[in-house]
Amino acid sequence: MSDYTKYTKQEMQAYAIAKNIQENQIVIVGTGLPLIGASLAKRVVCPSCHPIVESGLMDCDPVEVPRSVGDNRFMAHCAVQWPNIRFIGFEANEWLHDEDRMIAFIGGAQIDPYGNVNSTCIYGKGDYVKPQTRFTGSGGANGIATYCNTIIMMQHQKRRFMEKIDYITSCGWMDGPGGRERAGLPGNRGPQMVVTDLGIMKFDEETKRMYLAYYYPFSSPEMVQENTGFDIDVSRAQLMEGPDPEIIRVIREEIDPGQAFIKVPKA
Amino acid sequence: MNKVYSLHDAVAKYVESGDCICFGGFTTNRKPYAAVAEILRQGQKDFTVWAGPAGGDWDMMIGEGRVKAYINCYTANSGYTNVARRFRAAIEKGELIYEDYSQDVLMLQLHAASLGLPFLPVRLMQGSGLMKYWGISEEQRKALDKVDDLKCVEVENPFKPGEKVVAVPVPKLDTAIIHVQQASPDGTCIIEGDEFHDVDVAVAARKVIVTCEELVSNEYIRQDPTKTRIFGECVSAVVWAPYGAWPSQCYGRYDNDDAGLKEYDKASKYLDAEDAKAQLAKAAAKAEKAAAAKPEDEKLAAAAAKAKKAAEDAAAGTVIPETFKDFLDKWVYSCETHEDLLNKLGGYRLMRLKNEPHLGYSTRH
Repeated sequence: MSDYTKYTKQEMQAYAIAKNIQENQIVIVGTGLPLIGASLAKRVVCPSCHPIVESGLMDCDPVEVPRSVGDNRFMAHCAVQWPNIRFIGFEANEWLHDEDRMIAFIGGAQIDPYGNVNSTCIYGKGDYVKPQTRFTGSGGANGIATYCNTIIMMQHQKRRFMEKIDYITSCGWMDGPGGRERAGLPGNRGPQMVVTDLGIMKFDEETKRMYLAYYYPFSSPEMVQENTGFDIDVSRAQLMEGPDPEIIRVIREEIDPGQAFIKVPKA
Repeated sequence: MNKVYSLHDAVAKYVESGDCICFGGFTTNRKPYAAVAEILRQGQKDFTVWAGPAGGDWDMMIGEGRVKAYINCYTANSGYTNVARRFRAAIEKGELIYEDYSQDVLMLQLHAASLGLPFLPVRLMQGSGLMKYWGISEEQRKALDKVDDLKCVEVENPFKPGEKVVAVPVPKLDTAIIHVQQASPDGTCIIEGDEFHDVDVAVAARKVIVTCEELVSNEYIRQDPTKTRIFGECVSAVVWAPYGAWPSQCYGRYDNDDAGLKEYDKASKYLDAEDAKAQLAKAAAKAEKAAAAKPEDEKLAAAAAKAKKAAEDAAAGTVIPETFKDFLDKWVYSCETHEDLLNKLGGYRLMRLKNEPHLGYSTRH
């Protein structure tokens, strides 16, 4: 049997996600790690949360890990099957009603110190029209980053954490204080944290720049600075304790037994 | 009125080269693949596309050079292929005229089309590259008759002076193709599960082809009108095409064909045999360089040897991996009809895809 006292970087990341979901929150998830984290929250850490997906499926509680946000695995185990446009309207109305009960997970290939995210393309020697590497494009991320507070999921690498990113798909704090308002975006929404395989970054109240808030038992502030392509304040960093064996058991045995998103190395 | 057609006749009559077109479904769910295959066989091309959340459906059309302008928000067989490979290759080679909107905006544009709106104001894409960069320039747009002259315009909200909003055009669709669970000869449709943008495009498009899992009588379909989602008068043709969303899912009926989507993922990496040879040669050179840089690393040395063998085998023509063209030959062009495809897939393979009623998906797929 698998040893639940040892956990992988990704399992720590999923646990960090789950720990940051609060009571009764409406949680916008995609597939992959955020879904594992949200499933963990729903089952163990914070059962009162309501996972929803951008295809319009509300209060999802899948049995088996879905592969896409439109998957039958979500669709057959949710409260309401709305079309995508209702999801968009719901998201916008939450902001219009000044509700503060939504949190969303988005990901990307590049991020800057203000939490602006690129999931469209990397220019290389080219440009937007003919880039070196093309990704899927926005999907629901741009709208989510417009109207909702977000938690950004990234792999912590120097080439991904850059002072200036090629293309902004999903807006963060733009160029700092007041940046969102100047762009016509809701100023009282924005990225709350960045969860990576090395730690949890938050954004300074004054400057809106990213700083290291937590590192993990297997990482350190130095590792975070080494793997970040811009100056990052690590002076406020605290240690986040790892998960209990029971959490790891639930991830491996109940949530992702097929290891669709979290691979467990063989002992 | 009886609108029942064969797949061949429906596509021959209602899909014309140069159409502005949209397919229903969501990445790997209820995608109208049977109709896509028929279009590929018949040869229509030069489409101006409003793609919605697209997957292998539009990836195949792009790979086969049938797209004139591709207006999109997301293209991937999510969970199988992170970025659709022919879409990606076409953009990286500068071979595809394309535009990005956010999914929210694009879906609202399709909805606006169903409402008959003249244009659409949104509070989305502001501050992002989606507004700043245009995939299709103003000049190019003027030369493309089915593409709007502008991607978007920032305007002042007339009801809230000082508030900036974004005006976007509303698509004028010639053709929509959707796959549904049940339809009747008069065109009435039942969609089970999430309708996605399917109802919107069925209302908005001038010509609508519906492929269905089950063709039921006009009387039967209206037994419970809470279940019907599309008015028959919106529909031009109804086609019986069981498993017509294969290899994608169909809610209440069947699951993704795991093997089919994985096969497409691998095959679509290479356009054709020449492309496979070139890519494998390049990969071998890269692996050799990586191994040479760290001579003590046994894993890198083994990887380089493996890559070298694959490149040599491909160059000699002894082992060439399956390519995109091979996949289409196997599952599209060598099948004269959708029925041929089903026979080729075989009964057992299709039965394994059937949803298990207690779960709503298949554990045997």
